[in-house]
Amino acid sequence: MIRPADTDKLLIISFVFLVAVGIAMVYSTSYIWATSRFGDGYLFFRKHVVYAAIGLVCFVAGAKIPYGAHRKLAYPALIIVIIMLIAVLIPGVGYVAGGARRWLRLGPVAFQPSEAAKMALVFFMAMNLAKKQERIKGFWAGFAPNMLIPGVVIALIMLEPDLGTALCAAFLMLLMNFIGGVRMRYLVIAALAALPVVYFFVMKNFGYMMTRIMVYIDPWKDPEGKGFQMVQSFIAFGSGGIDGVGIGESKQKLFYLPEAHTDFIFSVIGEETGLIGAGLVIVFYALFLYSGARIALKSKELHGKFLAIGVTFMIVMQAAINMSVVLGLLPPKGLPLPFISYGGTSLVVSMFAAGILLNINMRNNEA
Amino acid sequence: MKNKAPKKSYVRPRIILCAAMFFVFFAVIFAKAVQLQVVEGERFKKLAERQHTKTVSIQPKRGEIYDRNSRELALSLEVDSVYANPDKVRDHRMAARALEPVLSVKRAELEKRLASDAGFVWLKRQVDLSDDQRKTLDGIKGIGLTRESRRYYPNRGLAANIIGFTGVDANGLEGVELRYDGMLRGASVSRVGEKDAKGRVLLYEDMDKGHQSSGQVVELTIDKSIQFIAEKALKKAVEGAQAKGGMAVVMEPFTGEVLAMAALPSFDPNEIKRFNPKEWRNKAVVDAFEPGSTLKLFLIAGALEENTVKPNDLFFCENGAYRVADRVFHDAEKHGYLTVSDVIKHSSNICAAKIGAKLGKGGLYKYMKSFGFGEKTGIDLPGETSGALKHYKNWSGVSTETISFGHGVAVSGIQLANAVSAIANGGFLMKPYIVRSVKDKHGKAAAETAPSVVRRVISDETAGKLTKMLIGVTGAGGTGAKAAIEGFEVAGKTGTAQKPDLKNGGYEKGAYMASFVGFIPAKNPRLVILVVVDEPQGEYYGGAVAAPAFKEIAEESLAYLGVFSSLRGKALTGTASGDVSANVTTGVYKAVSSQAQGDGLASGAKAVVPDFTGKTMRSVLRMAKAASLDVDVVGSGTAVSQMRGANGKVVVRFE
Repeated sequence: MIRPADTDKLLIISFVFLVAVGIAMVYSTSYIWATSRFGDGYLFFRKHVVYAAIGLVCFVAGAKIPYGAHRKLAYPALIIVIIMLIAVLIPGVGYVAGGARRWLRLGPVAFQPSEAAKMALVFFMAMNLAKKQERIKGFWAGFAPNMLIPGVVIALIMLEPDLGTALCAAFLMLLMNFIGGVRMRYLVIAALAALPVVYFFVMKNFGYMMTRIMVYIDPWKDPEGKGFQMVQSFIAFGSGGIDGVGIGESKQKLFYLPEAHTDFIFSVIGEETGLIGAGLVIVFYALFLYSGARIALKSKELHGKFLAIGVTFMIVMQAAINMSVVLGLLPPKGLPLPFISYGGTSLVVSMFAAGILLNINMRNNEA
Repeated sequence: MKNKAPKKSYVRPRIILCAAMFFVFFAVIFAKAVQLQVVEGERFKKLAERQHTKTVSIQPKRGEIYDRNSRELALSLEVDSVYANPDKVRDHRMAARALEPVLSVKRAELEKRLASDAGFVWLKRQVDLSDDQRKTLDGIKGIGLTRESRRYYPNRGLAANIIGFTGVDANGLEGVELRYDGMLRGASVSRVGEKDAKGRVLLYEDMDKGHQSSGQVVELTIDKSIQFIAEKALKKAVEGAQAKGGMAVVMEPFTGEVLAMAALPSFDPNEIKRFNPKEWRNKAVVDAFEPGSTLKLFLIAGALEENTVKPNDLFFCENGAYRVADRVFHDAEKHGYLTVSDVIKHSSNICAAKIGAKLGKGGLYKYMKSFGFGEKTGIDLPGETSGALKHYKNWSGVSTETISFGHGVAVSGIQLANAVSAIANGGFLMKPYIVRSVKDKHGKAAAETAPSVVRRVISDETAGKLTKMLIGVTGAGGTGAKAAIEGFEVAGKTGTAQKPDLKNGGYEKGAYMASFVGFIPAKNPRLVILVVVDEPQGEYYGGAVAAPAFKEIAEESLAYLGVFSSLRGKALTGTASGDVSANVTTGVYKAVSSQAQGDGLASGAKAVVPDFTGKTMRSVLRMAKAASLDVDVVGSGTAVSQMRGANGKVVVRFE
């Protein structure tokens, strides 16, 4: 069996590897685009490195702060996140990019509240599920708070709109409730109850969503228009073959593939490093999942278990969805690849989450 | 801790279940990656390659156009073109301010172009820059210079209607430039470069190699000097008559080579934008007109050939007014009885109508068609009209009569000149052409045009009879007396046609096409010349308006060619005679004429058929004429065999 100390190493190796891949690939994918657009090829690379440094601080903080403290932080964090999610919707406060109001600007730093919201949700649910464990099978104590409070947060995220993050958060909530022991029938009812909301949302954005779904079903139907990004993603990833075209040699990043340094970075990883590189990335996410799950299983108390599995799933779920979109397994979502994609908030939050996992594991070792 | 290890049996398996689900998810992702990269990898590699590489074609220098004596008519010069990469230009306003005086483009326009999203925009193409100006441009980031080839026509408007012009990308748009575009352009050199999604080429090797290659050189049948003479004479005639425009064609009758083709109004191909498309028209090829009396020639040719009439048959010209069905035909002068020769000399419409009626619809149509009317001559110039000649089955009541004197039928200048060439050369309708040869840049011929006979239209004998009649036209009392040249026999025919009124039907009052067509020297023709003046004011008869221009072109061209007058035995002195020295054309013609004289001596013994093998078609036709032999020619090139046909004709095969 792998001892807890080994789990430490495995966790650190996998996330350091993924962050390093991210730094290298953000540089590779953004250099030419940034040169042409802003006259500074290192613009994104520099910012990404700064965020990685901030993330490192958060990682260390996450590892040092006893995770029990997050229990007390759960409610304040939730309230702050809800305030920010409301603020981001106010024109003039929220910052629009790509048709959605997703960012808050604090001086030079753009902050994405929805990323932080997922973290706050995990904090809240881990705390609440553990606290209400004795009455978890009941409706009012076990089900209602664990559904409604996250529901408000998810609804706010949907309003931005950031459908990808909202679905991700909803799925995460369901999984945590399931693991936490909420009655299955309530979960099913909750899912059914959410249907009208989903229906309303789908109808409101029908054209946009249909386009995405049609593109998912057959991107080659309109390879120059709506299917362009998907087709270009396939071409990039597929042309990498087994050993790739070489690091830095991607042709697809030369304006063919939109958002090559953010949501579609995995595509360029596939192109430049081939199946070997892309496979390694998948393997290291799996290793991260393995270590996170082990930490959760080893944890001797429920809050630790729930927190560990919550942050683990938060990261691997997003990674799996992102890679599925790039490979055409799921319709386009607009989610970054954790640890790797350019995008400050996501990187910082993910690294903080890794720190928390390490802290939980250290507690496991102590006992 | 409150919740310390409460044994909750469901937590552990549920964690394992969810984690396992994610492992499966990752496995599926990996499987899909294998499918895309390994199974379909090659397909995507090909797709990627196709979109990433761009074959950049580099245009070689466009080939020159020369006249028949290698005098330059169209050249290609290397000039600068200025472009910008707008996203690299830091301050659009500053750049526009600096560029305005150098490029003489308005600042607002420059700013507009610099604001473009494109990675590449032209700021000014084909501009002459000084070294200082180049330095100024080099100093502005994002602005670049490239060498482009620009077409230049050193003689400005001379032969512009034939040569045509090119667009800014050196693509032929009119005339020879258009018709021979592919050859002049040359094969473009391909280079493979990488391009980004915006289609910009990022790098490519050997970019300049393209400029070392060159398009092919085209040599025209046009003689620059004769072209100049024709244009000058036409201009004088058109301006003198305050006419709308006009055309002139000069041809070599034995080959179908066009020596000059003038059109008015004209244009300067160097500054094409200043001119209206109407002024580009190469009238002699693209426009059809009702020719009037010049067409009587072909009626008489047919009537003589068919033995319907003899030159001295008398016809009654009804004293100037003749009713056929509901129409009354008039003559310009009243005539009583006229011989066929005098019908031509005085150009009687009434008698022509009677001869036409005698020849009959079918006969008239056959000869019109046979002389090439109603179908394209096939000259190697774009936009040729076929004219208008209805099938005789569709002719109305008086069509036979009107067509007999050139109305109700439309012809082009080149058709008319070419048909007259057939009379001049003893009965062969040739295919007219404007390009003699196409050569590569080293002067090696890639293609040469050989004279080609379309068909024999009339016999040499008929042609001879007609020529005699046509000489009468320019004699004393003839309608074309003003075309007479001292010391030469001139064969010709005048034409004066009312222009059809395209708006209201019928004919336009006071709008005429005055023409004169003929050849000289009549018995040993060197030049066929057509002059048409469109809507002359005041005097409008072809004999008054067009004949003097014919005379001017004939006189000066013969002097230039060094053709001797039978009276004075020396070259006539004309304005262009300075060009005579070291002239290839003259050399060729002299050689041919001496050969013709030699053959003439040999033909003293009549029945002797000369050996044609190895001779050019021109020589063969001349020799045959001198020997009064009827020959049929087949093919083109040089004569390879000859045989006597059943009707006494000699069939000569060319290859």
